[in-house]
Amino acid sequence: MSEPRLYPGIGRDERTAFPPYSAFDIPEDLRELRGRYDVEATARRMRNFRYTHEWMAMILGGWIATIPEIPVKTGLGKIVWETAQAADAFGKRLPELRAGRNVATASRPANQGFADLIQEVAAPESPDQTIEKIAGLCDVLMPHLIAVYEANARATDTICDAPTIELLEDATRKLRRHVAWGNEVLDRLCDTDGKQERRAARARALEAQLRACGGVTGELP
Amino acid sequence: MKRFISHDELARDRRFIRQNNALTTVLSQLPDDVDKVVETFESIDAMIEKGVRGTEAEPLYEDYGPAFGLVTLNEPLRPDDPAALTRLRVRMHGIFVGELQALEGAGRSLWDFPDAPWEFKMNMARQCWDEARHVQIYEKLLEHVGAYPGMFPESTFLFECACSDDPSMRVAGVNRGLEGLACDVFRDMIRYAEESGDEVMKQAVDFVLADELTHVRFGSEWVREFTKDDPERFERAQEFRRQVDKQFSFGGSRSDRKDAAIPIAREVRQEAGFTEQEIDELVTISAGGPSKETIKAAARILRERHRARRAARAAAQGGEAGGGKSPEGAPA
Repeated sequence: MSEPRLYPGIGRDERTAFPPYSAFDIPEDLRELRGRYDVEATARRMRNFRYTHEWMAMILGGWIATIPEIPVKTGLGKIVWETAQAADAFGKRLPELRAGRNVATASRPANQGFADLIQEVAAPESPDQTIEKIAGLCDVLMPHLIAVYEANARATDTICDAPTIELLEDATRKLRRHVAWGNEVLDRLCDTDGKQERRAARARALEAQLRACGGVTGELP
Repeated sequence: MKRFISHDELARDRRFIRQNNALTTVLSQLPDDVDKVVETFESIDAMIEKGVRGTEAEPLYEDYGPAFGLVTLNEPLRPDDPAALTRLRVRMHGIFVGELQALEGAGRSLWDFPDAPWEFKMNMARQCWDEARHVQIYEKLLEHVGAYPGMFPESTFLFECACSDDPSMRVAGVNRGLEGLACDVFRDMIRYAEESGDEVMKQAVDFVLADELTHVRFGSEWVREFTKDDPERFERAQEFRRQVDKQFSFGGSRSDRKDAAIPIAREVRQEAGFTEQEIDELVTISAGGPSKETIKAAARILRERHRARRAARAAAQGGEAGGGKSPEGAPA
């Protein structure tokens, strides 16, 4: 008895006996090849995301010395590192998107309005402004990033751009943790109506600036 | 947010009391001369007294006078020493605030140098997390030895000395000067934990020491990178590190001398990437300062004069004379 053929031969009567399946049959894959962003648009967005994370890491690092609450200082230490890791991961995706390896152009704001917003987020520096500092990031900028990253992951091509989706999912998971931490800090610090109003006022002002510039990608409606 | 802040802008909660950094500068420049040591401490007595008010160092000051730091800091930590607990708490508190300042220094390195290479920012970001964990670890260890944040005055001397506005000097000061000092201190803490059978302290400090080696390596690499093709800048960074090493030797307390409170951890430093030449330089730089005999003689004179002043004041007020009861476990 002859051995079953494992590889097809050159003649029509020399095929193997294995049944045919497409690349997506087992398990069945209902995804379609369609996505809102092409390679160039994805690279542009990566640069915008990297810009934001790079600046967030720098701002948080600078704030540590200006914040008197020890648990906030130490909490920010880990967030600085995770934020920098996300920026690094976004940067490493760029060469995969034919966007070169030039670190100098790896981070770019969507527009001047967003660059101005980042500087406004960084503005509070006095030790009595922990509320303004954390509210700017955890009430406004980070929730905005979560919303954009989730929308991006849903809208991009789930097969062609799967590596971006992985990065965004990882960044989103950590951002959610940072926001939850920030909310706990702010809930604890804002123990009077006056302080709660400070938090809300800071969020309102930055939210308006964020809407005006179109957010991290400059595309908010 | 502005770039480059002064050490006196470091934010603290109300538990902390700031010590004038001049005291630490004085300690690093003391000569081996009893009269001069006495004269120096008498000249800054008022400043020292002000700095200890409201802290657990106040009873030590009341008992020993302005030289209480000499008798608590300049002696090796030994488990069988009657003053071991006091010395341990003072040292542990010094490490805790040192870690706090190292965290702040690493964070400021991210913010102060926005045009630095990305890999530098990544290293500093990682150091922020490490130092934040070290603050948490030492807060737990403070509790472990019956101490607490704010128990003693904080000198922001470490941040002041190490945080230069030039990135090559910043990493030379923070990552090689400050973190190098940490290598010496933590090696000695591990030795103390082993001798006293404190497994909790030994394991925790050993992990911290492992992190510090990484931070020194960051410093060695970035000094090289920031000064490549610029030998003059390299030499300035090295000279800055030597100055920081001198100041962080606290008049020979950290040195290779037989009477040093904190010996230089040669093997750990080699592992961290310090060259033999740099370690030999440190041995030379740190060897100066007063001998143990000088310090003991000066401390005795300062204590006697302090008690005489207290007695005279009490007599003038019609109260009872005397220096009061020594704090429990106070250095002899």
